[in-house]
Amino acid sequence: MKHVIIGVGAAGIVAANTISKHRPNDQIVMISADDAVYSRCMLHKYIGGGRSVEALSFVSPNFFEARNIVWRKGISVTGIDTAAKTVSFDGGTETYDKLLIATGAKSALPPIEGVKDCSGVYGLRDLADATAIRDKAAGAEKIVIVGAGLVGLDAAYGLIEMGKKPMVIDMAKSVLSANLDERAAEVYQTKFEEAGCVFRFESKVSKVRSDGAGNLSCMILGSGEEIPCDLLIIAVGINPESKLLPGKPDKYLKVGDDSVFAAGDATGLSSSWPSAMEQGEVAALNMCGIETVYEECLAQRNTVNFFGIASVSVGRFLATDGDTLDVRVDKGRYQKIVINDGVPAGVILQGDISRCGFWQYLIRNNVNIEKIPRSVWKVSFADAYGLNQDGEYEWVK
Amino acid sequence: MRRILIDSEKCLGCKNCSIACMQSHRGEDGVAGLNLSSQELESRNTVLMNSKKQYKPLFCRHCSKPGCAKSCMSGAMVKNPETGLVEYDYEKCAACFMCVMNCPFGVLKPDRASGTYVVKCDFCADKGSNPECVKNCPTGAIKVEEVTTV
Ligand SMILES: Cc1cc2nc3c(=O)[nH]c(=O)nc-3n(C[C@H](O)[C@H](O)[C@H](O)COP(=O)(O)OP(=O)(O)OC[C@H]3O[C@@H](n4cnc5c(N)ncnc54)[C@H](O)[C@@H]3O)c2cc1C
Repeated sequence: MKHVIIGVGAAGIVAANTISKHRPNDQIVMISADDAVYSRCMLHKYIGGGRSVEALSFVSPNFFEARNIVWRKGISVTGIDTAAKTVSFDGGTETYDKLLIATGAKSALPPIEGVKDCSGVYGLRDLADATAIRDKAAGAEKIVIVGAGLVGLDAAYGLIEMGKKPMVIDMAKSVLSANLDERAAEVYQTKFEEAGCVFRFESKVSKVRSDGAGNLSCMILGSGEEIPCDLLIIAVGINPESKLLPGKPDKYLKVGDDSVFAAGDATGLSSSWPSAMEQGEVAALNMCGIETVYEECLAQRNTVNFFGIASVSVGRFLATDGDTLDVRVDKGRYQKIVINDGVPAGVILQGDISRCGFWQYLIRNNVNIEKIPRSVWKVSFADAYGLNQDGEYEWVK
Repeated sequence: MRRILIDSEKCLGCKNCSIACMQSHRGEDGVAGLNLSSQELESRNTVLMNSKKQYKPLFCRHCSKPGCAKSCMSGAMVKNPETGLVEYDYEKCAACFMCVMNCPFGVLKPDRASGTYVVKCDFCADKGSNPECVKNCPTGAIKVEEVTTV
């Protein structure tokens, strides 16, 4: 059996590892536009100079050799022929028995007038983006980042470590609005401001202008205000790289006939690292003939760690009518639990995330905690403590 | 694989396991020099109490489907297919704490002093036979046994 995997991101790598574990004698070929394996989540550490390219890798240096995987790097797949079972690219084709499309996503580019005609505008998705940003930033003073979400703040953090003072613009009223409430967000905003960052909220970029030579020179906000700018980083979201997918993924992550699967950001089902890994594993098991259903993960679950302040946010963290809210604030700590009908719907934990993992379990599995006769702050796995035959923990219903 | 099996009914909450864990990772022999209130040195296990006031030891299970390793974005947290242990590499860790969020039993935590790494059981990998917590449990609530699933 020959497996072809397109992409060496979280989903592709986990899939290759899973296939090699379950079918050590099968043949695996990986094809990627990337010519290095790296974790996108660490790109800001590369911009900031804290990590080399090698240190961005999330696999051991002999990952491919140890599993007898043929890796064709630096190659962009341009088409798939499901009838002939081949994938094609500039200069060749590759046949497959089972195919996994794990092509990730691209940075979304909002409609900003003039962007196409000038240099100095980047997304932050690939290593090449990070390198370009780092090189350009070295000689830039007026750096603007559009988007104060995780990727935008990652970029800002890396640039601050380079000694830069970027401006960050967002349409929302606060940073990280998809992950944190305003109170938790403000803690990070203040830290970024103290480090020299300037924020503009409830604003959007409508136009950019270049100097005579095609270099970015200024950007214009919706309000008409002009802001001089020699480097613009766009971090407003992603578009799944789904053009190779012949169809939508089913519960086995199959996307067409029985031989073609998809996993990770490319599926449009999720846009996070753990979900990409999970899908890579599920798709790979199905490629090996081990029938496995993909269970949707919580879309909103993330960790944030800037300036040594860690936060965890899971589920629906803004209370609405009918919810009860538990909030606890003390030195450097902000913790909030949204409960609906006895069932936790979401949490934000900031400053102290010690041993908090069980919250995701409770939220994901709609566990009613009302009947536990203790303060919500004392609830833990001890209240549903179980062990199976092999000594693994199990939640007791 | 070898796993620390837990019989919570035998646990008296003495926390010898936690002291043994601290001592084991202190880098110096002899419990006499152990500072129990050290900020830098933390036990990787703990003993919880449930609402019925029963002790429930919380020890990394080195799970067969480890939520921590399955969410790690730096390659620092990896399940070793031979030994079954979920190994943690401080050097690789990017301190994103995805693993903390994704351990469904709430075993993991960032270190208290610096917040830059994860406090994680290593099975006393460099100490030979059995983890120190097990050697020092006076009631037999924890013991190491070979289990079938890895
Ligand atoms: C700056 C940044 C920070 C992030 N931080 C976090 C975070 O803190 N937490 C979190 O959960 N997630 C984070 N993410 C998101 C996370 O990185 C992604 O969800 C994850 O990488 C998705 O993995 P994937 O395997 O689906 O795709 P990717 O990692 O994008 O990999 C796609 C692969 O496909 C290849 N490819 C694409 N098209 C082709 C083609 N036509 N031919 C051949 N190869 C192709 C690419 O070269 C690449 O190897 C972050 C992302 C970025 C950019």
